[in-house]
Formats: sequence, structure tokens, C-alpha cells
Amino acid sequence: MSPTPEWADPRPARVGFDEWLELFERVPDDLIERYHYYGDSEAWSKYLFPPQTFAIYGARHLKRLKFDNSLAALRMWGFVQNETERLFRARQTGRRVIATMGDLGAVPVIVNSFPGCVAFYPDCIWWTPFVMESRVLFDAAAELGIGDATCFSRAALGAFAKHSYFPDPDLVIASTGASCDDYSGVEQLAEQFVGEMMWVEMPMRCGMGPMGPMRHMLVREYERVVERMVNLTGHQVTDDELRQGVRAANRVRKLVRRLRELASRHGALAALEMMVVEFGNLHHYSDITEWPNVLDHLLATAEARVAAGTPVVSGDALRVVWVTPPADPLLLTYVEDAGARVVGTEYVINQALEVIDESKPGLEAIAESFMAASLIGTSRQRAESVIRQARERQAEGVIISGILGGSHCAMETRLISDIVKQELDLPVLEFDVAPPSNEIGRQLQTRIDAFLEVLRSRR
Amino acid sequence: MELIPRATFEQIRSQRVEEIAAVRRQGAKVVGYFCIYAPVEMVQASGAIPVRLMRGGHAAEEAGERYLRADACSFCNACMGNFELAPAYKQVDAVVSVNTCDMMRRLPESIERHFGIPVFQIYMPRTSEPLPHRIAEFRRQLGRLAEEQCRLTGSVVGDARLKSEIAAFDRLRGMLRQASDTRRMNGPLLSGGTMLDLAATAWLLGPVKAISLIEEVLRMVAARPRPEGRRPRLILGGSMLTEDDRWLLDLIEEKADIVTDILCTGTRWFAEDVPADGAPLDRLARFYFSRPCMHRRPNTDMYKYVQELARDFRVQGLVYKTLLYCDPWNFEARRLQEALGVPMLHLDTDYSIENREQVRTRVEAFLETL
Repeated sequence: MSPTPEWADPRPARVGFDEWLELFERVPDDLIERYHYYGDSEAWSKYLFPPQTFAIYGARHLKRLKFDNSLAALRMWGFVQNETERLFRARQTGRRVIATMGDLGAVPVIVNSFPGCVAFYPDCIWWTPFVMESRVLFDAAAELGIGDATCFSRAALGAFAKHSYFPDPDLVIASTGASCDDYSGVEQLAEQFVGEMMWVEMPMRCGMGPMGPMRHMLVREYERVVERMVNLTGHQVTDDELRQGVRAANRVRKLVRRLRELASRHGALAALEMMVVEFGNLHHYSDITEWPNVLDHLLATAEARVAAGTPVVSGDALRVVWVTPPADPLLLTYVEDAGARVVGTEYVINQALEVIDESKPGLEAIAESFMAASLIGTSRQRAESVIRQARERQAEGVIISGILGGSHCAMETRLISDIVKQELDLPVLEFDVAPPSNEIGRQLQTRIDAFLEVLRSRR
Repeated sequence: MELIPRATFEQIRSQRVEEIAAVRRQGAKVVGYFCIYAPVEMVQASGAIPVRLMRGGHAAEEAGERYLRADACSFCNACMGNFELAPAYKQVDAVVSVNTCDMMRRLPESIERHFGIPVFQIYMPRTSEPLPHRIAEFRRQLGRLAEEQCRLTGSVVGDARLKSEIAAFDRLRGMLRQASDTRRMNGPLLSGGTMLDLAATAWLLGPVKAISLIEEVLRMVAARPRPEGRRPRLILGGSMLTEDDRWLLDLIEEKADIVTDILCTGTRWFAEDVPADGAPLDRLARFYFSRPCMHRRPNTDMYKYVQELARDFRVQGLVYKTLLYCDPWNFEARRLQEALGVPMLHLDTDYSIENREQVRTRVEAFLETL
């Protein structure tokens, strides 16, 4: 069943931290030795660490989650959790480390087209792993003026201030424009910690006329990025290299598209792992070389499960579409434990999921792909994406999770909820997630339970 | 004693809303707008009546929470509420909205959905560096707005008319600057509260009537002797303050003088004129693009603006009033205080009326420290 000859995955299941650790202990040493980041084979570039390593280094939230018990998933978590170390190694080995903030998917494609450059998202300190069971970064952000009534993205500001979660970047490319205020504010305040910040405009996709001119403007912005990168690296990037960058990004996007299909139609992977997979499209966890290999491994596992008819999430589970930000790992775990499965997602990162047109010049293709972003559009457009996915997957309900104080959550949640209810006649559950270090409150548990009960009663 | 009682301004505004309602009944179109980035000259040039939708208020905020979440900024909630409550809002046929912040970017959808009022949304780049392609896109947006205005009113926005309206609004901005500048002297006769009222009345009256009013106010200032004694000179900043926040200014000015501000409902509305060279649409694009605000990235120009004002008006303290969940202004509080180097009182509240005594205590304590 497993695609790795010297290893046989146990029967697919979601397991707790202790079982996950036991699983790791059974992994043969030569498998641990096999996986390396940055395409290296040096001893330091291994990343298949035991889960307890991440917990010891602060990711204690992991103890409360449930994980896919495949080797591929174990590998994925090892790779993702290893990102901080990887970024410092990048610096040590002479790579240029470029922070790409705010645009969620496009600028890293350009940066990764430059040899020896690593694009990363400071956002990921809070966003994808979402597992720091401490207030350290929030407290650091509060000292700089951003307090609790703000989206959790403020943790990125704390990370800049601490200088210990990623190396001080060679360049920070901060995208703003039609972005959320919280993150734009974080970028502005982070400027004091970086030598130079390059600001990139993201247009708003409003109803005023054709999109062509906006795309044209975005291409000009990307040309500025290229120019800045050329100045930084001394490398004159060619259109061929940009196309290669697009192809590399597309390889990931195609893999993720297939994984989404297998997960949503067949329950081949659980929502928690799929969230990590989807967010990997933003910046490939700072390693465009190894991340696709991790995804290949996951895909082989998922396909094997479908072929064997052994999903990790029951096909009979209640089908829900999840709208965020943020999808909290604890909540995803809780909802799946309670008998639901996530068959569609609108994580405001759809632009990173779309395959980029490889027949067009690189920057134009990237800009065209980005213009479809949920991030820069209207709430109605997000609602339509939810409706489309819900119809395709015969969803039985929609969950909208937000953040108290998150600027667009406050304005969007009710609109999306109203539109979905009106057009689909589906139950919608809206709530705000607690800060990452908190347990799920009893009240919220009860609301989720009641919501799922309603979905069951409608069958 | 106040130069012009608040009630007088309220009466003028109330009469103006009645006038607007009357001409609207005869077929005129009324276009509401929110912020200083809306090209009011273009609205006027299309033959529509521009009305700035700049009301807050506790009752409106509560009413608005029927449509938006409580953690939407108070102003957005009050906007929604005021479409139910405020007479001026009820006259609005269409709204021009600019994506200044995330919440204002998304407010139009709620207005259209719940009140059926069409909103013309203009995209203005948030990045402040005036690169040609950014200004070109903003100019294109203004061109689209001209077409939308034409569809609404049936009148083409021609260059000659636009030029004439630019000149009219420049005159109005100039007059407001003149009024505001009287506060450079010690013992200013024009209070911060009166200045806020004057601006709020001016954008409702339109250039011609507003200029007459300001001229009258300036005559009154010139005729009155300056008070003796010195009081702390303050600069006011933060999220937009509206006529409904006048109580706060009155409270502060019991013991201090608000000599200038960085408000979008204050000096930033009239700080500069439209550049003189070029085609009218190009001039407007450059003018509005270059206006400073905390939400622009980077917001260096905003800091330059506030530092110059603080120096020129010799301010001794900053009262920084933000609305709950107004991120662009809230996030900058600490940094702004460091940049100005004067004591700051930061009030972060919604439009509640229950906390006014607490605010009074904080204001009084702050003023004692100056």
C-alpha cells in the first residue's frame, strides 16, 4: 500500500501525538537519512525529525491534534516544521533569503526564478503551522503597538522584532493594496526592522470596467520586483528562467489540485494535512526543490488509499465547506472527530491554487493568475466560490471561521453567510476562532456539535 | 464664548439638507461620498450634488450592527445605521466609495445589498510612491467614474466644467486653510470644534455658499480681541472625527486649544490645491493620489505632514482619537508619539455615550500633565 518499498503504512487513520511518535520510532534509519531539503545530501539537511522535536521547540499545540499516520504525512510535517532551521541554513550556505509578504502566492514565483534565492513568508510563523503554544510573538507585537483586537497575523511583526524565527532577510517585498488592513499594518511596522522594504501594489478587482489595465499595472509592479532582484543578485533573469519558475510553481499547483480532488471526493487525506498542503502553494515552505517531492509522496499515498478503498476520513462523514481565515488546526481536528469532513475550502488563497498559463510570458502569466485572487475581490465573489464548491461536492453545510478584529472578517462574514444561505439553502455556522494558544471553548464546541446535528437531521 | 454657536451650524446644515431634498424632488441626483479621496469636483461637474457621508453617532452605530458585525469599525456600522436614520443619507441616489481601508473597501457591498443604493467603487493604489503606472491606473478609475456619473445624471463631465469645479473647490480649500491658519497665533479665536463644524458645513453647502460662510467667520475672527493667557496648544489626530464627536472637542477645549489637526474631516481635506498644470483629469489623479493618510504604504508622507504641522503650530500635545477596530490609525499610535516627541493621549473608543465621564477624566488628567 505504501509507495516506499521498505516501509508499509499502517491502515489509514488519524492518530494522536503519542501514536504519531510511536510511528516515527518504527521508521528505519535509512528512510530518515533519505530525505533532505534544498536538494542537498549533507547530514544537516535532513528533516524527518520525530514529532517531539517540534513540541520541544515550542509547537506544543501538536499534542492536541490528530495526524495522518502515513509516512508521507510524517515527512510533510517534518518538512514544514523544519522551516526555521531551513531558512537559517539557507543563509549559512550562501543563499539569499527574501521575505515576500502579503500577496499570497505570486511574488515567490518570481523570486524563486532567481538562482540561489529562497522566498519565504513571515506570515507562516502564525499562519500554517499555527502551533505555537505561547504568547511570545503576540506580546512582542503588542509592545510595538498591535494588541489583541487584531488578526493573529500580528505574530509576524513579533517574529521580525525577535530576529530568531528567520534570518534577517536580504530583501523584504511587501505587497499591499487590496490586502487586509491588519497585515498591511504589520508590514508597515515591520519596516523598522528591515534595511529596505520594497512595496508592491496589488490592485483591487472592483466592478469598474475591464481587468486588462489592472493586470497591466500589476505586470509593471512585477517588473519592479524583477529589477530589484537583479540589483540584489547581479543576475539578469531571462524570460526562460521566469517560465521555468512558473513551471516549478505549476508542478506544485497541479499536485495540490490532484490532492484536493482525492481528499474532497474520497477522503484520502484529512483536512489538517490538506490545509498544510494548500498553504504550501504560497511559498513552498521555502524550498521549491523538495516540497514537490513531499507532495509526490503524499499523492502516491492518497492514490494508494483510493485504489484500496481505505480512506482516512469516512466517506459517510458530513460534508462541509470551510471558509476562513483562519482554519485553526484544533478546530479542523475537532470537526473531523465529530464526524464531518471538509470537501471544499475558501482560505483566501485561491490565486495560489490556480495553474499559471505557461504559454504566456512569465510576468504576464503570473499577473493574470493573480487577478483571480479572492484576496483582491469582493465578498460576493468569495461567496460564489463557496457556492460552486458546495454544489460540486454536495456539501451539507458551510463553516465560516473568522478572527475577532480581523478587518475583513468583520465585513465579510455576514455577507458571505447571507449569500450562501440564500442561494444554497444550506446551514451556515459562523464563529471566531480563539487565539492559537487557547483551547476550543465549551460554547464553541456546543455550537459545532449542534450544527453537525442539524446537518445529520437533514439527511 | 464660542465664535459661532454649534446650533447655528446645525441649523445651516439642516436647512441645506432640506434644500437638497427639494431639488432632488425636481430630478437632481445626490451622490454620497465618504472620504478625502473621492473626487468631489467630478461629482459636481456631472451636475450631481455631492454630499459627504460623514456622520457617526451611538444610535447609528447600534442600528448598523444589524447589518455588520460589532467588530466592524464604528464608522462603518454608523454608516449603515445612518442610511436608516440621517436625513442627508436618505437623499442619496448613489455613492462614490474609495478603497481607503479594508472596511471601507467592503462597505459598498453591504450598502448595495441592504439599501439598494448603487455604489461606484474607485480603486486607488494603497502604495504611495507616485509611479506613473499607478497614477495612470488611478486616472483610468476616475475616467470610469466620469462615465458612471454621466449615466446617473445624463450630463457628460467635460473638461471645461471639470476645470471650473476644480477652481471652485480650490477656492473653498483655500478659504478653509485661511480659517484654520488663524489658529497659528497664541489665543486662537477659532476653536477646533468650530473648525470641525465649519468644514462639515462647507462640504455640505458646496463651494459658493461655503465660501460666503467662511468669509463671514473670518470677519468675526478679525473683529474680536484675542483672549489673554495661554493654554496648552494641541494637535488632534486619529480616525475620522465627525460632527457627532463635537462633544469631545468641546471637552478638550474647556482647558486647552486645539490649534490644528491631521484629520480627514479637518486639515487634510483642504491642505493643498489641485496642481495647476495638465488636463483636468490628470490634475485630479495626481492631486488625490498624493494626499497623505496613515493607510498609505509607506506612510512616510503622513508623518512628514504631521511633523510639519506640529512644528508650525507649536503644539505641545497630541490627542489621538481612534475608533475601535480602526487598524490603519490604531497601529500607528505608538510610532506617531515617538515621531512627534510630545505627550499623547490615545483614546480608542466606539461611539458609546456611557464612557464619556471616563474620557473626561482621562482628558483632564492629560491636560494637567502639559
